[in-house]
Amino acid sequence: MDDLKLLRDFGRELEHEPPASLARQRGRLLDPSARSRTARAGGPRRTRNWAMLALAAGLTAAVVTVPTVLLSGSFDVVKMPDGGSRSAGGGTASVTAGPLNLLLIGSDTREGANAEYGPHMTTDGGRSDSMVLVHLAADRKSAQAVSIPRDSMVPIPECRGADRKVLPAHTGMINSAYAEGGLVCARRTIETLTGVPVDYAIAIDFSGFKGMIDALGGVEITLPKAVDDPKAKLRLPAGRQMLNGEQALGYARLRYALGDGSDIMRIKRQQVLMRAIIKKAADLPTTLRLPDFLKAARASITTEPGLNLEEMLALARGLAGMKPSATTFMTVPVRPYPPDRNRLSWKQPEAGELFKRIASDSK
Amino acid sequence: MVRPLTAIPADRVRDSDLIGESRTDPEAFAALFDRYSSMLYRYVSRRLGPEVAEDLVGETFLIAFARRDRYDAAYADARPWLFGIVTKLVSRHRRAESARYRALLRSPAEEMVDFPDDRVASGVTARSARPALARALAALPARDRDVLLLIAWGDLSYEEVARALDIPVGTVRSRLNRARKKVRAALGDTNPMHEEE
Repeated sequence: MDDLKLLRDFGRELEHEPPASLARQRGRLLDPSARSRTARAGGPRRTRNWAMLALAAGLTAAVVTVPTVLLSGSFDVVKMPDGGSRSAGGGTASVTAGPLNLLLIGSDTREGANAEYGPHMTTDGGRSDSMVLVHLAADRKSAQAVSIPRDSMVPIPECRGADRKVLPAHTGMINSAYAEGGLVCARRTIETLTGVPVDYAIAIDFSGFKGMIDALGGVEITLPKAVDDPKAKLRLPAGRQMLNGEQALGYARLRYALGDGSDIMRIKRQQVLMRAIIKKAADLPTTLRLPDFLKAARASITTEPGLNLEEMLALARGLAGMKPSATTFMTVPVRPYPPDRNRLSWKQPEAGELFKRIASDSK
Repeated sequence: MVRPLTAIPADRVRDSDLIGESRTDPEAFAALFDRYSSMLYRYVSRRLGPEVAEDLVGETFLIAFARRDRYDAAYADARPWLFGIVTKLVSRHRRAESARYRALLRSPAEEMVDFPDDRVASGVTARSARPALARALAALPARDRDVLLLIAWGDLSYEEVARALDIPVGTVRSRLNRARKKVRAALGDTNPMHEEE
């Protein structure tokens, strides 16, 4: 048998089909700013790390973690939700080129360190207590963060559960997509629902959230009135104050003691908290207890698909130029869900128009 | 049964015309991407795996775009030009490439047992030859490997390889011969049945 023929067969065995994401590279080609960025792309610039960290922190509590994870040189493998892993050293610029959409999920696995916050839950994904779709404009000069109420009743497409069992398509609360099907399912649900292509779904565990805020040395917020909520294990006086990680977490999860008890109010509080984190990170970069922050961040992030070191670096570089004030926080327009007034359904056409704008900016 | 990695329909706009057009209309260059990005992705995925391939292909087109003014319009087919850029970028990952081939040597043994009947009859199969090929590729000097794989996996002709690597055709021939000799020797080591040509 011919050696070239054998070699060709061998090559076919090694071959991979191009993924749909290859199209992003096309966008990179047509985006002048991405072209010039690539031309001078080098390694991470140490001098800008603090600024990068602070500004990148600027997006949301979850994105805060992305650039910091990569600042630790020893980071080499990102665990994927399906238990697989992907080694670092892959692509770089796909996350910096063109618009980028991130689905951030604050997850509440209530396992391990989180068990004290509720009964031990064994479901793989855990509950998603907050969902934010973040859209970064192609020029990385602005971002939109759209909070998605977890009580939203939406069509959830067919997904595969933790045990590989197929979960049929059904209508349910949006946070059940993550609880039952993990990041993959949450992402598919959002994509189907909004028409916005999600580049990365990122889950952050609440216990990590706590650790990160502690590493920041706490965050400052102002409360309109005192809070005493045994459910969130939170007692706070009214007025301006510093919250530690534990308290900030309680504040974020607070549902009944402030406002009207709706999920919308809770989202507002989470947005307040995100801003507080941004501010803290931007104001006091040098007080950051980096090792603690990294430890907390690294232990609590899951991404889908797995982001490797270079991709995270690239993402952080992309975020570095963004001002915290350039992030617009929004909430999906909702109304009560007719069959159950305690649930929400998305208000149309407003919700559709919001996502259409984002989707069209994502091309 | 052999699916070509590259196939060019005859009746279409020449690559060189697209490149020429892109000097004034950058969008035209995207057509070149649509034409060849998948082909280049597959090629790179063979040599370096899928993790690096996407980005490397993106970079290839960015470099090509930046150099489009210097493209010699006498060549209608841009593949050798693009493969040349790809080869330079792949060479930055030389160690990873060798490691990738070596890693294939450690793949599970049972894979080697399971071949279809028709191939068993031929005595040598791609599967059974796999360790030998992997070992040979890992050990080849990069220059020889580039030539061998542009021919075997990139489906380029000798002349096209010469253009891609900017070397004389004679050099292509000698590097290819040297590389094939080593591959055949490696195959011979593991397959006493293998007949030298």
